[in-house]
Amino acid sequence: MDSFLNAIVSGLISGSLYAATALGLTIIYGVSRVFNFGHGIVAVMGAYLAWMILSGGGQLNMLLGILVSLVVLYVFGTLVYRFTISPLMKKPAWDISTVLFLLGGGILLENVLLQVFGPRVKSIPVLLEGNLRLGPVSIQFNDLFLIIIVLAGIVLLNVFFKYTRMGQAMQSTAQSIPGAKVVGVDIERIFGITFGLAFAVTGFSGVLLSTKYFLNPHIGWEWMVKGFVIVSFGGLGSTNGAIFAGLILGIVEAMVTLYIGAMWVWPIWFVIFMVVLLIRPQGILGGRA
Amino acid sequence: MKTIKKLSWKNILVILVGLFVLVYPFAGANSYMKHLFILFFVWAVVAASWNLLNGYAGINSLGNIGFMAIGGYASGILAKSLGISPWISIPIGGIITCLLVTLFLGFPALRLSGIYIALLSLIFADSLPSILTQTRDITGGAMGLHEIPGFIPNMEKIHAYYICFVFFLIAMYVIYRTIHSNTGLAFMALRDSENFATTLGVNRFRERLKVFAISSFLTGLAGGFYVHSLGDISPTTLGIEPFLLGIAMFELGGIGTFTGPILGAAVIVFGNEFLRLAGTLRLSLLGLLICLIILFFPGGIMQLVSQIETFISKQLKKRQSVGKANPT
Repeated sequence: MDSFLNAIVSGLISGSLYAATALGLTIIYGVSRVFNFGHGIVAVMGAYLAWMILSGGGQLNMLLGILVSLVVLYVFGTLVYRFTISPLMKKPAWDISTVLFLLGGGILLENVLLQVFGPRVKSIPVLLEGNLRLGPVSIQFNDLFLIIIVLAGIVLLNVFFKYTRMGQAMQSTAQSIPGAKVVGVDIERIFGITFGLAFAVTGFSGVLLSTKYFLNPHIGWEWMVKGFVIVSFGGLGSTNGAIFAGLILGIVEAMVTLYIGAMWVWPIWFVIFMVVLLIRPQGILGGRA
Repeated sequence: MKTIKKLSWKNILVILVGLFVLVYPFAGANSYMKHLFILFFVWAVVAASWNLLNGYAGINSLGNIGFMAIGGYASGILAKSLGISPWISIPIGGIITCLLVTLFLGFPALRLSGIYIALLSLIFADSLPSILTQTRDITGGAMGLHEIPGFIPNMEKIHAYYICFVFFLIAMYVIYRTIHSNTGLAFMALRDSENFATTLGVNRFRERLKVFAISSFLTGLAGGFYVHSLGDISPTTLGIEPFLLGIAMFELGGIGTFTGPILGAAVIVFGNEFLRLAGTLRLSLLGLLICLIILFFPGGIMQLVSQIETFISKQLKKRQSVGKANPT
């Protein structure tokens, strides 16, 4: 029973982190219908930027590292959109060409990072030390803090989408591009900002993930594929769906690891993915099918 | 008849290259070059059947390397553990691939569109390595299968060369006939305008299953020929590099053309050997290549060829008209 409860807790923790990774994917897809196959490397880049500031500066703190990685990735995202995705989207068959482009670009960046930082595993120190004991369950403060950050981030994003002009413009673009144009939304600009925002969120999730797990240039691939399952489970384009799906899959993963074995996590994720696509392709909360 | 005459220089080139490939092992090919040619024959089939799915039927599959691995493993295990002749185990491997792929990807893909198929097929191929390491007794786990028997006892490279060449020719013929049949027309109609095609009476479900079946069967066979010519297979076959190579082949050659993937496979297989000089930078270069092609040359080599062709014919016409305008 104790191990069961602990598994539930660790499932919730990793689930909320997975949800955080999936947010970047679902934001880009929801607004622009481009599916970011370079998602993993963006998260890894964010984590490496934070790690560089942390280890290089000495006196500089975590907050600065995160801030720098957010800003750099925001700029990077808008540039990627402006110079590569935007021209590609004006051509026919843009859906597959953007997928392959982002895939190729992701692998390019992954190997550049490998050249620069080497294959050795890096770790970002935990944000908070110590742990909390609740009966049989023990939670590290850091994990608790991660969950709080993720929840706060999600609330902030929801507020941004609902109550700010920019967020509303993004939502209207997500609903209908011609409609958004009619009411005077500058689609190109919105897409650029969306990419910047999504890249920044993804980079941030990379920082969080690498405090919990570890960091090397290849780990992004695994984060990304997990993100894929989560966004389709939750419904492509739906942020709240991604959060539920992340939590559910985190718990499933913990249960599978506990009772069947860690090696079966991947095949079982695949089976879940297939079953969801067969029964309810629009995901649990209904994004776009 | 007219089209044959029009394209005659291309036909001559194809025949010349074919003859060269036919006599090459006797004209001073060393073992290394034969090895590269075998890789080219197998990869060309993989790239061409991938292109059949992505280019002709417009189904964005990213899992074709997985099909190849399934076919290779199935045939390798049958031949090595059960002692079945490769000539029987390869077709069985192809059928197993075909069944698994239609079951796990083909049927779900009937209801899905666009990006979902890409995701599903990618995750399908991505979950294979962990299954392989789980079933170590049968598949050899992370070490893979070694000393898989060849096509004939005491096989040498030259035998494998000709066997794979024949396989390549047959597979290309099948793909060519598929593209130029009613089925191929139906694929393209569904790709270009699904609603219009279904209105005209194209059975969307049946055609999609068909294209999955053909593509996966051929790729599975290619996997079989791959393991029996090279003698081993391991989960690295499912790694990122073969995946990139496959995509680079049909993208470089020209997606949605018959000749494109073959040309692309040739360039990539032989070019990849030169890239070995670049060492660890190779994967970045491949990624960069894919990015550049998609951004600046979406039609690949075939686009270049047709551009040169139109340029030459324009120049010829100009000359003719100039000649007519100024007699003597």
